[in-house]
This record gives sequence, C-alpha cells and structure tokens, in this order.
Amino acid sequence: MESTIIKSRNFNASFGTNHVVKNVNIDIPRNKVIAVMGPSGCGKTTYLRCINRLHELIPGATSSGEMTINDENIYQMHPIFVRLKIGMVFQRPNPFPNLSIYDNVIAGYKLNGIKVPKAERDRIVEFSLTRVALWNEVKDSLNKKGSFLSGGQQQRLCIARAVAMEPEVLLFDEPTSALDPISTSTVEELFHELKTNYTLIIVTHNMQQAARVSDKTAFFYLGELVEYDETKIMFTNPKDSRTQNYITGRFS
Amino acid sequence: MEIRSVKYRIGKNYGFKALVMIFAFACVIPLLFILFFIVSKGITQINWHFLTKVPKPVGEPGGGIANALVGSILIVVIAAVIAIPIGILGGIYLSENRKGRLPYWSRICTDVLQGVPSIVIGIVAYFWIVKPFGFSALSGSIALAIMMLPIVVRSTEETLKLLPSSLQEAGFALGMPFHRVIFKIIIPVGTSGILSGVMLAVARISGETAPLLFTALGNNYLSWNIFGTMHSLPKLIYDYSTSAYDEWKNLAWGASFVLLLWVLLLNLLTKLITRKWKVQL
Amino acid sequence: MAQIETELQLLKAEVVNMWTLVHSQLNKARLAFLNFDKDLAREVVLKEKRVNGYELKIDRDCENIFALFCPVAIDLRFLLAALKINSNLERIGDIAEGIAKYVIDAEVSFSQQLLDVARILPMYEESVRMLEDTQEAFEKEDTILARGVFKKDEFLDEINRASHKVLERHLKDHPDDTAQALWTLSTIRKLERVGDQSKNIAEEIIFYLEAKVLKHRNKFV
Repeated sequence: MESTIIKSRNFNASFGTNHVVKNVNIDIPRNKVIAVMGPSGCGKTTYLRCINRLHELIPGATSSGEMTINDENIYQMHPIFVRLKIGMVFQRPNPFPNLSIYDNVIAGYKLNGIKVPKAERDRIVEFSLTRVALWNEVKDSLNKKGSFLSGGQQQRLCIARAVAMEPEVLLFDEPTSALDPISTSTVEELFHELKTNYTLIIVTHNMQQAARVSDKTAFFYLGELVEYDETKIMFTNPKDSRTQNYITGRFS
Repeated sequence: MEIRSVKYRIGKNYGFKALVMIFAFACVIPLLFILFFIVSKGITQINWHFLTKVPKPVGEPGGGIANALVGSILIVVIAAVIAIPIGILGGIYLSENRKGRLPYWSRICTDVLQGVPSIVIGIVAYFWIVKPFGFSALSGSIALAIMMLPIVVRSTEETLKLLPSSLQEAGFALGMPFHRVIFKIIIPVGTSGILSGVMLAVARISGETAPLLFTALGNNYLSWNIFGTMHSLPKLIYDYSTSAYDEWKNLAWGASFVLLLWVLLLNLLTKLITRKWKVQL
Repeated sequence: MAQIETELQLLKAEVVNMWTLVHSQLNKARLAFLNFDKDLAREVVLKEKRVNGYELKIDRDCENIFALFCPVAIDLRFLLAALKINSNLERIGDIAEGIAKYVIDAEVSFSQQLLDVARILPMYEESVRMLEDTQEAFEKEDTILARGVFKKDEFLDEINRASHKVLERHLKDHPDDTAQALWTLSTIRKLERVGDQSKNIAEEIIFYLEAKVLKHRNKFV
C-alpha cells in the first residue's frame, strides 16, 4: 500500500472572481511521478502553484479547501517552511544570471543567509549536480556564470538548485516546453531517477510526455479534475469520454 | 507597378534618409560649439593654484575656485545620499505594485515633480527650511535631492520592470522572504540599470543653479560646514561671469570648464558601468 | 537508457520465454507420440493454459507500449512483428496440444511401417528445427537464419503433398489401418500448419529487421 504524501480535499482557487480550480480531490502517492495534463486554461498550473503557495503571491488570488503534506495542513504552515519542503522548477530555465554555477546551486542557502561550512557547501553542490547528471559536464567550470550552458543544462541546473534544498516534493511547471528534443529527453530520463528520492508532480502540455514519464496522470478540464488514474489505464482505456476526446485529439 | 512611380518612391526614400542624417548632425552641432567655446576659454585657467585657492578680492591677482569646487562636491554628495535610498526603494515599490491607488498616484506625483521648475523647488526649500533654520548647504542638498528623486525612482522602476518575473518566482520557490528576494536577487541583477539612473540624476543636478540661490547662497571662504552657507560652481559662474572684472570672468570660464568636464565624465562613467555590470539575462 | 528501450527489452524477453515454452510443448508432443507416452501427452495438455496466459500478457504489454510510447521506425516494426509472432506461437501451441490429445485418445500404438512410409518422423523433427531456427533468428537478429526457414518449409510442403498418394497405396496393402491412416493424415496436416506458422514468423522477423515485406510473395515464385 503506497503512502500518500500530498492530499487535496475540496480545493478551490480563484483570481478575484475568476474561479479557476474547482473542488479538486486528489491523493498524490510518495516517490512516484504524477503528470497533470489538460488544455490551456484548465487550471493545472494554478493548482500546481497552490501546492507550494506561490499562487497567493499574485494580487487578488485566493484559495480555499484543504491541502496537506504528510497530513499537515499546508495553509496553516508558514509559507517559507512549505517551500523548503516543496521545490519548484519553472517553464523557462531561470538560473540567477549574476551568480556562478556553484553559487546558483547553493543559492537556496546562501541567499537565505543560512550559514553552511565550506566543506558542507562543496558536498551539497557536488551531490545536487550529480543527482541531475550535470556534475561531469560542469565540474571544471563551477565558478563561471551559467550563461554558457545550453537550455537543457540550464534547466538541469535549476533542478539541482531545487534538489539542493533537500525537499520531499518537486513541482515542475512545463519543464521542457522551452527545450529542444534532445534536452527534453535528457530531462525526462532524469525524472525516472529522481523519483527514488523525491515525489514529482509535473504539469505538461505534452500528452506524450505525460504518457512516457509518469506513473499516474491527472486530467484537468475547465478547472475540474476529470480523471485521475494509472497512466497505463488513462492512455489505453480512460473512463471519462472527455479524457478520451482530449487524448485522441478530438478537441484541443 | 509603373516604373516611374517606383523611381519616385526610391528617390523619396533617399531624400528622407538624407534629411534624417542632416537633422541628426544638427543635434550634435550645438554641443560641439559649446564644448569648443568653453574648452578654449577655460582650459588656460586650469592649474593646481586654480583648484586649491579661494577667490581673492577684486584687484588682487591669483585666486581659484577651491571653495566652489568643494562646496559643489559636498552639496551633490549629500543630495545623492538623501535621494538614492528613497528613490531606489520607491522604484522597487512601484515595480512591485503595478495596480492600486497608491502606486497610481505615486507615479503621477513623481512625473509631475520631474517637471517642476528648479527655481520653484528652490523657493519651496527656502520657505520650508531656510526660513526656520537659516541658509545652509544642507537645505541646498535637500532641494537638489527633491529634483533627483523622480529620475532615480523612474529609472529604478523601469529597470526592475524589465526583469522577468521568473527571477522573483525562483527566489520565492527557494523559500526566500520578500526582502531577501529584493535585496539578494532583484537588485543585484538590476544593478547596472539602477546605477546608470543614479549617475544620470547626479549629472543632472550637478549644474543646477536656481535652487542653490535660495538655499546654500554662497560663501567667499572655504567651508566644510554643511549647516552654514556654502559656495558652489554654478553660483560662482553666475556671480562672476557678469562681473566687470576680468580676473573674475576668467575664474568663471575655468569653473565652467570644470563643471562641463565633471558632467561629461559622469556620463562617460555611466556608459562604462552599464556595459561592465550589465547582467546577461 | 531510455524508458522505451527497457520496455522493449522486457517484451523481447517475454516473447523468447513463450517461444521456449511452445518449443518444449511441440517437442514433448513429439516424444509422447514417438513413445506412445500418454502421461507426457497429458502434461502437454495441462501446460497449454500457460501458453494462452503468455499470449494474453504479451498482447497487453504491446498495447501498453503503443499507448505510452508512440514508437516509430524499428521500434514500431518490432512491436507489430511481436504481436503477430505472439499469435503464431499460440497457434503452434494449440497444434501441439491437439497432437497430444490424439495420443491420449489413441487406443493402440501407431504402426511403425505406416509412420515410416508417410515420413512423419522426419517431418516432425524438421518442424521442430524450424521453430528453433526462428527463435535463434529472433534472439540474435539474424535474417539469414530466418530466410533459411523458407527452404525447410518446402520440405514439409513436399511431404504433405505426397501424403495422399502414399497413404492410398498403403491402405491398398493394409486395409485394417484405415483409422490410423486417417489419423496420420490429420497429423501431417497439423505439422504442415506448424511449418506455415514458422514461415510466417520468419517473414515477420525479416520485416522488423529489414522493413521488407515478404508475405504473399511465394505465390508468384
């Protein structure tokens, strides 16, 4: 029986009067890759950003309902603690342009003023970069700025930066939509390895990607969670006709 | 298409290009004249004596602009110290809050302030500060700071607005509180833009005369006391250029040259800083 | 290694396992029939369930791989070939079960003379060898070995064609052997189908490795 790490019950989110996430009930199992897919404007990105409480930073954004991690209510914790447990990787690779690769990886510690001895810092940097299969490529240029890295490498650097904080969950907001196919497949292979240590929730536009990488898939449509099941079942015999229409491309 | 009409349009194109170039050149000419004039008249005055001695009374040879130079530097520096923190923080506030009543009115007020004539600001400073506390360099600095403020605020806001929001989000996602996101991420990345805004503001007020007429007044002696009256380069130029005495007129030319050089150097520095510190996003 | 490669390798291993099972079924049926061993024949009938189980699992695995990975090029051809080889193997398994059932139902052991004249034993051995060859060709990705199977099928076809006349002649001399002769004819037909299935498998292997379609070409040869 797999344990659940994140639970949502009757979760809603809005931008002012615009109700974009409607009554979502979902159990995210530990150490699995969950894909969240759906057409544009279906609320999947908003839902994702509610998990690490990035949604509320937008003026006029509200949410209600229950969202827990390890049975602790996320909305009763201090947002900073939430974000230390739940890391996020964004659509466009966004390493800090004024910092070196080394500093980028430990940015979560350094910029937060958390004092870490040098030996420990070196260990964290090497560990995180190894976890994202970037160590061998950059170990001789740790002091250079990240601008010479390719798109895929930059994105992996951002993943390393998130991993360095030792979170339990990693959120990905369309992580490969700005990358070329080869970088995309390198990052996708990474998901497979990362799930041994983290739980991954990936929002994606790309159905084939959801099919390739995830264990379970959630299909959002017009703000509602239409179907949530094992990926194999979703793609061979989905239960809801809306899911089938979306997957077969009958409507975008 | 008809050959004739095509030829006409090509000709028109060349004519337009020529016109644009002529006008561009025309913009440069006044600056070249000014530079030529001031440099030729003023450069002969520059020597160590000139820069380190105060003006002598009429009739006596020698004398320099030391008190005006020191005064200008002090007043400008203090004005910058006052205006920069307020301006940058104001710019940060406006870039973070696009909508809302306070940001809206702040922006309007900033823009209006930018257009207020410098002499009006001088008079206002006179009534607010000089009347109760007397003439002082500090009051002059305050007046100049008020003039600097809109420039710093607007350039900070524009610089920060250009930064992608993903930079901030990355910071928040790493568990950073807002003040750290601003000071450790946003400002370092926007440094070159903010700094160039500051330098331009400083260059702008370096030559302002009108406010200083009512606040710092002037001082014939070298003074380091900011709570008392103080001389400044613009004031010296204003006083001496219309005087009847040749020695004073020459001092005015030299001072003009120094002021011009100062402003030119500041602009050059701005360009260099922008190029060196510009962060490739 | 990409996920799809792992999945395809697992599938290939499954298919090879099924092949081994079907091969042992065919061989056991041959031994049961050679030695008139009813116990061995019953084993074969029991094990048929496993063959069916394998077929269902491989079908499902192929469906999943199609749905999840949208394979193209050689991966796509491999999956299409695997699906067809899957059902070919299952039919061979059925035939082995059928032969085993005959052995169980037969009352007396089969006349050696009849068997020799019909050349059923060499036919049976050759059909088993064809299955072995196709398995090796699949595992080692060897199209030459696969092509070799076609010639062997001709041998089986020849025995099949001759069987009518041969058995007719035999019956004239041994009219009591009617039941056995009918049974022998039936088994020869079955073995000929085993040969055909193996030939189809070989065609699928060549299709997946070389993208050449050799189906239905024999008609024009």
